[in-house]
Amino acid sequence: MDIKIVKLGEAGYPALLEKIKDPPAQLYYAGNLAMLNEKCAAVVGSRVTNAYGRHMAGVIGSSLAEHGATVVSGMALGIDTCAHEGALRAGGNTAAVLGCGIDVCYPPENIKLKEKIENRGVVISEYAPGTPAHRYSFPRRNRIISGLCELTVVVQARNRSGALITAELAAEQGREIMAVPGNIDSQYNLGSNKLIKEGAMPVISVDDVLEPLDLRKADMMRAGIKLSDMEYNIFQLLNDTGEMNIDEICLNIGKSPAYVAPILSVMEMKGFVFSHAGKIFLANT
Amino acid sequence: MLFDAYKMEGDRMFTEIKTATLSGVKGYPVTVETDLHRGMPGFHVVGLADTTIRESCRRIRPAIMNSGGRFPSERVTVNLVPAGIPKEGSHFDLPIALGVMLLGKMTDKICDTAFIGEVSLSGAINGVKGVLPLVMCLRGAGIKNIVVPRQNADEAAILEDVNVIPVQSLREAAEYAGGYRRINAHKKQIREEEDQRRGQDFDQVVGQESVKRAIVIGAGGGHGMLLIGNPGCGKTMMAKRVPGILPELTYEEKIEITGVYSVAGLLQTGDPLIRQRPFRSPHHTITAAGLIGGGQRPRPGELSLAHRGVLFLDEFGEFDTRAIDAMRQPLEEGAVRINRNFEEIVFPSRVMIIISANPCKCGNLWNDRKVCTCTKKQLEAYRRKLTGPFADRIDMYVKVSSVAKDKLGEMKSSTEWEGSESMREKVNAAREIQKERYKGTPFTCNGELNEEETKRYCTPDSEGREMIAEMYDKFALSMRAHDKLLKISRTIADIDESDYIKGVHVAEALMYRTDMDWR
Repeated sequence: MDIKIVKLGEAGYPALLEKIKDPPAQLYYAGNLAMLNEKCAAVVGSRVTNAYGRHMAGVIGSSLAEHGATVVSGMALGIDTCAHEGALRAGGNTAAVLGCGIDVCYPPENIKLKEKIENRGVVISEYAPGTPAHRYSFPRRNRIISGLCELTVVVQARNRSGALITAELAAEQGREIMAVPGNIDSQYNLGSNKLIKEGAMPVISVDDVLEPLDLRKADMMRAGIKLSDMEYNIFQLLNDTGEMNIDEICLNIGKSPAYVAPILSVMEMKGFVFSHAGKIFLANT
Repeated sequence: MLFDAYKMEGDRMFTEIKTATLSGVKGYPVTVETDLHRGMPGFHVVGLADTTIRESCRRIRPAIMNSGGRFPSERVTVNLVPAGIPKEGSHFDLPIALGVMLLGKMTDKICDTAFIGEVSLSGAINGVKGVLPLVMCLRGAGIKNIVVPRQNADEAAILEDVNVIPVQSLREAAEYAGGYRRINAHKKQIREEEDQRRGQDFDQVVGQESVKRAIVIGAGGGHGMLLIGNPGCGKTMMAKRVPGILPELTYEEKIEITGVYSVAGLLQTGDPLIRQRPFRSPHHTITAAGLIGGGQRPRPGELSLAHRGVLFLDEFGEFDTRAIDAMRQPLEEGAVRINRNFEEIVFPSRVMIIISANPCKCGNLWNDRKVCTCTKKQLEAYRRKLTGPFADRIDMYVKVSSVAKDKLGEMKSSTEWEGSESMREKVNAAREIQKERYKGTPFTCNGELNEEETKRYCTPDSEGREMIAEMYDKFALSMRAHDKLLKISRTIADIDESDYIKGVHVAEALMYRTDMDWR
């Protein structure tokens, strides 16, 4: 692994980060540092999530990356991982800010993801190589995540999630904060919903996150032409509701499971929907 | 007269009485030879008799005396023929006691009569286990009259072409055997075939039509199923109703099942014939022996008690791994084999297996309203358990989600829920097709096919093949999941009464794939 270093004040040091009140004195990095001088957006959230949170993180990550923004996150399990993966899936830029040395992989199961980000994005840390992961280093690294970005999107955070710290830091740094609303009867969404209550801008459609960065609105091209009529009906149904189980779909379109199941399979193969936990979700196309 | 003292003619006397012994659920005819000769008084039983039989002399001596007979004071040797197979069970009491009582009074009549029963010290005859298989083997050996304890008469009379002679006391049996008393053969009481399935219908399960569809497929092809979903979503309720949609049992199958229950001592008096497919749902604390059977005197386990029916393992993740793994071989073979000192005991175990599990140990993983408190380690361990070697026997993963109460109200009025009758029709039709297809092979349904046979019988048409190839890439299916997909497709095509496995069949089968995302 090729570890490089950039000091505060040197050329290439991310411009936005320089502006915060306690910028790191140096950044160790592996990968393409230049993408941190592009438009950056942080996508963060809890490690413990549900399918909705992971899905939204992926969709938002992809959408930002597709439109040329660099998706910054912390490579933790859950939302962070999905945001990075979403950006990579879209073939865009992504940056992982670590709370340990950049030659250390924490959490270890993300080793493959880390390699991908090193190759196709950038991995940075203010800690010297070899520094192990500490409990206190993560909240501190959060100021870098928010400091790098004009916008911080909190996708799904539980009540005391570290993502809320990132949002708080972003507010102190005078940056934009958005939060993805979730069911109010689910504890998974408590923290992110609270942010909205406290004044964060709610993300009510995926494209909302493009606005603060002044990115070009996505073509509202959806795949109507590639779908049969019945497939399109189901697609619309899911587009309205986000998720449904098979029985709900059957009741809505008045067909039997034996009729609907093969259609859903085909749609899943075409990549329009995916099934999880007995429910069908709209995929990110 | 029977109870007079016998007169020794010459030095010895000899009798032969027919009975039978059990090995697993199979009976073997046995002849009890009793020989009396002058010498040191004594009573000896030879011929691989177990402890119960060797104890029987202590029972029959007072029993004979309390029945008004005389126990000889000479030397008595009892031999159980064939001497080479182990024999067990207290039902040898009656034939041995009669062997002694009939010394010197042997009549021709008892050559075509066999005796089964345990005697008590008072001379009464007690009921025993395993009468049906014993009677079956005796019938097979050409014996016409079978004397059984009163309590077992209904059970024995299930077989129509033998005379079942019920007895209540040793005295009665001895008088009958000696030709001093007539006893009318016991007739089976004809009962109306009441449908026990009533009250367990699928139409009581609301809003789970997609799971019912999956169950029709599972039952239609005899596929092992995993029902996975949060606690309280109706997994158990649905599993209980599966035996009711399987095809009607044939007479032979009913006898076969009743035989197993007879050996286990679980038959009801009055109406012993088992007419419905069994549903067994052992608790997760069950041991390997409880599940597959065993013990010093082998008893059928849950696997055999569910023979030709459904074995349901609720909370599969909580079962002991060793117990689960012990079921693999029997499930594959359709029979449990238990080796003991001298013999191999076989119990049948052709079951449809349904297991249910929560998505994680705490049960909240897929629940949006509750947070899963499992650690990463726990999740992995749980998942490993579900995907362990036993999982090979499970063809379909079916995800069950809870029906929301508020939705229920609005759905109830608008829809008719599919009931057991229409599901049974589909299952029957599919099973008929399979029976025809697998004529002359050891298989009866798609779920039983092995790898090679899957290739042979489950090839989709070109559209289906294309689709399966695409799925294989897109979902990175394992080879095993791929084979299962083909088997399920075959069953769906059978339900559809289509000779060919088409694209739609494969597509629907994909819904139940066993490679799934566990997060």
